[in-house]
Amino acid sequence: MSAPTLEVRDLRARYGSVEALHGVDVTVGRGRLVALLGGNGAGKTTLLRAVSGVVAQTGSILLDGEPIGGRAAAAVARAGVGHVPEGRGTFTDLTVAENLRLGTLARPRTLRGSADADLDLVYATFPVLREMRGRVAGLLSGGQQQMLALGRALLARPRLLLIDEPSLGLAPMLTRELFATFDTVRADWNTSILLAEQNASLSLSVADDVVVMAGGRVALAGPVEQFRDGSAIRDVYLGNHDPKAEADR
Amino acid sequence: MTEFIQQILDGLSTGLVYGVLALALCVVFQGTGMLNFSQGELATLSAYATLMLLLAGVPYWLAIILAMALSAVLGAVIERVVVRRLERGSEVSLLTLGVALLLGINAIMAIVWTTDPRDFPSPFGQGIVAFAGLRMTYQQLGSLGLLLAVTLLTALLFNKTSVGLRLRAVAQNPASATLLELSQGRWLMAGWAIAGAVGAIAGVVAAPVLSLSPGMMTFPLLLALAAATLGGLTSRIGAVVGGVLVGVVTSVSGRYIPGLQGDLAIVVPFAVVAIVLVFRPAGLFGRERTVRA
Repeated sequence: MSAPTLEVRDLRARYGSVEALHGVDVTVGRGRLVALLGGNGAGKTTLLRAVSGVVAQTGSILLDGEPIGGRAAAAVARAGVGHVPEGRGTFTDLTVAENLRLGTLARPRTLRGSADADLDLVYATFPVLREMRGRVAGLLSGGQQQMLALGRALLARPRLLLIDEPSLGLAPMLTRELFATFDTVRADWNTSILLAEQNASLSLSVADDVVVMAGGRVALAGPVEQFRDGSAIRDVYLGNHDPKAEADR
Repeated sequence: MTEFIQQILDGLSTGLVYGVLALALCVVFQGTGMLNFSQGELATLSAYATLMLLLAGVPYWLAIILAMALSAVLGAVIERVVVRRLERGSEVSLLTLGVALLLGINAIMAIVWTTDPRDFPSPFGQGIVAFAGLRMTYQQLGSLGLLLAVTLLTALLFNKTSVGLRLRAVAQNPASATLLELSQGRWLMAGWAIAGAVGAIAGVVAAPVLSLSPGMMTFPLLLALAAATLGGLTSRIGAVVGGVLVGVVTSVSGRYIPGLQGDLAIVVPFAVVAIVLVFRPAGLFGRERTVRA
């Protein structure tokens, strides 16, 4: 059996003197979509940022079995990790086409030839981006910017795509449409996805596996089937879940 | 009327200096997000480098190219050794650094070459072109051509090449650029190098007109800042046009407004800048940051 796309073991990360992740284990299987759930301050964003090397971390991070922990963020990106940050991180003064071109420029050298076909694929997935391609990204709506950020990350042809709170600031209907594209994205682009999101029910509708975080630790993890009724997740969100008690049992 | 046009043409010679220097300011601003107050001194340093090469017998155009290369390297070194330590610092510390570099480079040049002004030969020769009762020196015409060429080249570089796109991306949103595997340090260094090379042109355009001394660019830098503000720091064309406007307005107002002879005429361009900024805060050609709330 081949190695999972992402294997994180005993990951710790700190901001200054405050430790935000206290030994996290997460696995993203090849071609899987893992929903990373948890309330505010649970450590979801920090986990994504630690994986992509933006936050200093200790512990083991394997991408397709290859250690990437401790590398600079640009090097992690080069190794094949795409990151759509919270707040989207589009280049607001550049046009939509220029934003997408930056994604193309970040792809592995061996895949440069298929860049045009991939750009068409992005435009096919998000037709509005083609209409707006000459427009400055800062003028796009929140949903369009989210699509742009996603398209740009995909054009770099990541093996692992980290998506942080895509629903933030989006209308519920837009969010549903966006989440519906995640499924096709995964198949079309041959990538695995780690999706940090507060909206649990929507995430469960697209995820294969679920990781629930609380207080900088993993509270629960498993295939999505175990979480369908939502009570386990609710317990974690409401603080009724006690990982230590579970370990003792 | 002829005299009026002649005044405009005379304003061109200094206006072109402001224009190229403003262009270099814009390049470093667009490539790194910093306003580099030491840009003028770096240009002066390139002019000294050119002069030293000339005195050593190097042909003129080769000397300019070598000076541009040296300035590019110096720009990159300054970024790597000094600016990078402040990368995470505030804009205020970067501005302070710019002023410190200005004073430091100025002092070093004074120590090495003394503060005496030196003659600097024009790369375009001494001739004068006369037409319809007007005259322009080869230096003015050549500077104009050089400025247009540099403006065009930087426009192509920033807008048509992937290098330019990456530079703009890193300057605008370093955090997101990192996630697209753009190493911030390397690209900021490139931005400084390009600005250094453009600044070298400013030095060569200025030195024959202003005569070469360590303080040659201190005053033009102020006007270049005004020019860049007038045109809009986000617009390279705007900065060049702004520079020429500042030069021309100074020349014309010095001639026609009573009591504003000589250096006093300098108040007029600054008044123009102030008035323009009231109505167009981003400058004549500048774009206000386009972000939807």
